[in-house]
Amino acid sequence: MVYVLGVNLPDRQVVKFALTQFYGIGHATAERICARFQMHRTCRVRDLTPLQVTALASFLSSPKDSISPARYPTATPDFVPIPRRAHTARNREQAAGPDRLKELKLEAELKTEIRDNIAHQKMIGSYVGRRHAMSLPVRGQNTQNNAKTARKLNRVERYR
Amino acid sequence: MRPTQILLKGRSAWKGPYFVAFPELREALEHRVPIKTQARACTILPTFVGIRFLVHNGKDYIPVMVSQDMVGHKLGEFAPTKKRFVFKSKK
Repeated sequence: MVYVLGVNLPDRQVVKFALTQFYGIGHATAERICARFQMHRTCRVRDLTPLQVTALASFLSSPKDSISPARYPTATPDFVPIPRRAHTARNREQAAGPDRLKELKLEAELKTEIRDNIAHQKMIGSYVGRRHAMSLPVRGQNTQNNAKTARKLNRVERYR
Repeated sequence: MRPTQILLKGRSAWKGPYFVAFPELREALEHRVPIKTQARACTILPTFVGIRFLVHNGKDYIPVMVSQDMVGHKLGEFAPTKKRFVFKSKK
């Protein structure tokens, strides 16, 4: 068992799947994180070095403050392409896209965000907020039968 | 998510938000006259803040006071179209 931020990752699981234990990490994000910390795809939790575990823990505790890896150009520096547009540093950043892992929200932070979004809808009195308050489906699903997930989850104060 | 996707919720960025031009917008803001409309799909723009709308719900016109927080939502979200069923009470 490896405890990271109060979540225990089972020893025998593959890291990619163990990471999905966290609320807010799915398979796609887990794969990105594994790539960031050089964990191979069949690496199990028990095979992680203590250094990797601490790196993972420090990343997950504050993804916003994590250092993005350096982006290396795939061509050699003396390669001159046909100039279509001026390749400034900013353009290159735009082409590669922003670092998605920096925007990662986990566990309590994510739950607060979801709760705030629902509270916002309720506060302005929109249809979505009203449906949450009634514990009914929000997106036009049938309510003649079932609607069980909505009855279980939809409320103004979610996760409490 | 990209900023345009948050703003437009899946609509193409080049189109911009869907909205209906209200010619009586200035008058409504100055004289506090409500704007009667059936355009439920119209996005609430920042210029609409402080204006009272009467939004059609299929039967009546529901008064909606637009506040700053409503910007980006649709007018129809604030005019419910469905009434909860209640049995008629016997005399």
